[in-house]
Amino acid sequence: MNMDAAPFLTVREIVMDFGGIRALDKMSLDLSRGDVKCIIGPNGCGKSTLFKVISGDLDPTSGQVFFMGEDTTGLSPQKICRKGIARKFQIPSVFDELTVAENIEIAITAATKHYAPFSLLRGGPDRSSYELVLAETRLLEYGGKLASELPHGIRQQLEIALLVVTDAQLLLLDEPTAGMTEEETDAIVHMIQDVRDRLGVAVLVIEHDMSFVRKLGSPIIVMMKGAILREGEYAAISQDPEIRQAYLGDIE
Amino acid sequence: MKSKYSRSLTVLFWAALAGAPLFLGGWNLGLLSQLMIYGIFAMSLAFIWGQGGLLCFGQSLFFGIGAYAMALTTKGMIPGVPAITLAGLVLAMILPALVAGLLGLALFKGRGLYGAYFGIVTLSAAVIAERLAINWSYIGGFNGILDVPPLRLEWGSWQIELYDPLLFFLVVLVAAFAAFLVLLKLERSAFGTVLRGIRDNETRAAFLGFETAEYKTVAFAVSGAVAGLAGALFAVQFAFVSPAILGFALATEVLIWVAIGGKTVLLAAFIGALAVKSVENVLSDTLGQYWLLVLGLLFVAAVVVLPRGLLAPFLNLSLPPALRRSEPLKKSTTT
Repeated sequence: MNMDAAPFLTVREIVMDFGGIRALDKMSLDLSRGDVKCIIGPNGCGKSTLFKVISGDLDPTSGQVFFMGEDTTGLSPQKICRKGIARKFQIPSVFDELTVAENIEIAITAATKHYAPFSLLRGGPDRSSYELVLAETRLLEYGGKLASELPHGIRQQLEIALLVVTDAQLLLLDEPTAGMTEEETDAIVHMIQDVRDRLGVAVLVIEHDMSFVRKLGSPIIVMMKGAILREGEYAAISQDPEIRQAYLGDIE
Repeated sequence: MKSKYSRSLTVLFWAALAGAPLFLGGWNLGLLSQLMIYGIFAMSLAFIWGQGGLLCFGQSLFFGIGAYAMALTTKGMIPGVPAITLAGLVLAMILPALVAGLLGLALFKGRGLYGAYFGIVTLSAAVIAERLAINWSYIGGFNGILDVPPLRLEWGSWQIELYDPLLFFLVVLVAAFAAFLVLLKLERSAFGTVLRGIRDNETRAAFLGFETAEYKTVAFAVSGAVAGLAGALFAVQFAFVSPAILGFALATEVLIWVAIGGKTVLLAAFIGALAVKSVENVLSDTLGQYWLLVLGLLFVAAVVVLPRGLLAPFLNLSLPPALRRSEPLKKSTTT
């Protein structure tokens, strides 16, 4: 079967219960290769839970996730990651005690599929390529710095760069611009558009910042109470009276 | 802050060790060999603790298994294994590596054990091994094994026994240097980087696809093998092994050497062992039991005031060039 014929990502009727609380309520979602979509919604509507289910952090109560024609429901995070789904955490998560170049080395090691130690001991990645990768990810000037010493925005960029460098086909970005200046936010917008256009990577972004969502210019999924309330372009969504009242209203 | 001179200091130190026989007599050479054996042991812990972030509180378990393996093999007490030095050395590294590997698989798979829990379990394992050895009469029980033969080099019909302190010193020096080089090479390879990544942020590493439990297990096994090598040399030098070397006391001692020297730098841990043991030799006579108090205070001081260790800042080698590219920024960060 042709790989392209299978849907890229299909989330089918996911239910996720925590005790008595239903975080996801028959949530379904489709995404094509190279698609970028923003997920918005009030706190507690299940956005992060959805990412946790897709990335294998949580086993859903019921429902399935298919990625490139394969049922990935219930696989370990490691295995799902190796199939090409990489998640950026809500709290920035890089290797803080290591240099930026060391961070990149870990991602390149993942890209060369040395996930188990014995394969890596037989031969690691080619270190002469790192400079190029650092330059491509615009991190060259920070190469020798510890990740913990980076400005907040650059640290967020580093985390996204790590995911991109691993050759992920789908990025799950949980609030990538939280706490950023406008300039830093623009850099992230640019970065997302760049990986989509250049590498054909699909991206799902959870974001609260409406100016970011507008700049990104991609279709929007509005979530409410664990399911999709509306899906559409920014212009339509931002005019929708129900959404304005339910969600946008309380920020503006 | 990295010392500019750490590379020269490292070379100088090994050169000084190699030149020691020119200045030291037989007795002192023997003493230095003994210190270097502790140094190898310290490096094994520095590797798993400093690079892997796993505070192993029972490293003596692997040292002891190595010592027993060497003693039992060379005394011909292991059926089917020839009573020769080489077989003893090989077993003394493979057995502890196996035990560490199995222990690692049991402890790291699934949710895995972290921090203090890992320390407690490894400490218990060492204490259990000590009790086992005390109660197992075939391996000498409480009295241990006496008359462990010296190292014997064989080549066809030619053979030589290394009774001579100088020859034994050279063997230990080669072993120490080899252990240093192998561990350093691992540490500076991509394997080492991934290991440090796991130490730093295991969740991130797992969410990049790495089998973190396997990495930790392999690192633990390597560390066990090096500790076993030290144990084997120890058994030969003292011609004697006893259950005590498996247990709590030695496990704590090595922890202190490494903490004082610096866990992230192999040579700092090595010299930490040499230094603390030398000072102990001098001071334990004059201070008697107060020596333990002094050692304890030093340990607390090292952990609280200089968590990286006293020697690490001077011996910390810079990363390979590919892992620290930023020439223009370097100037601005040093100001």
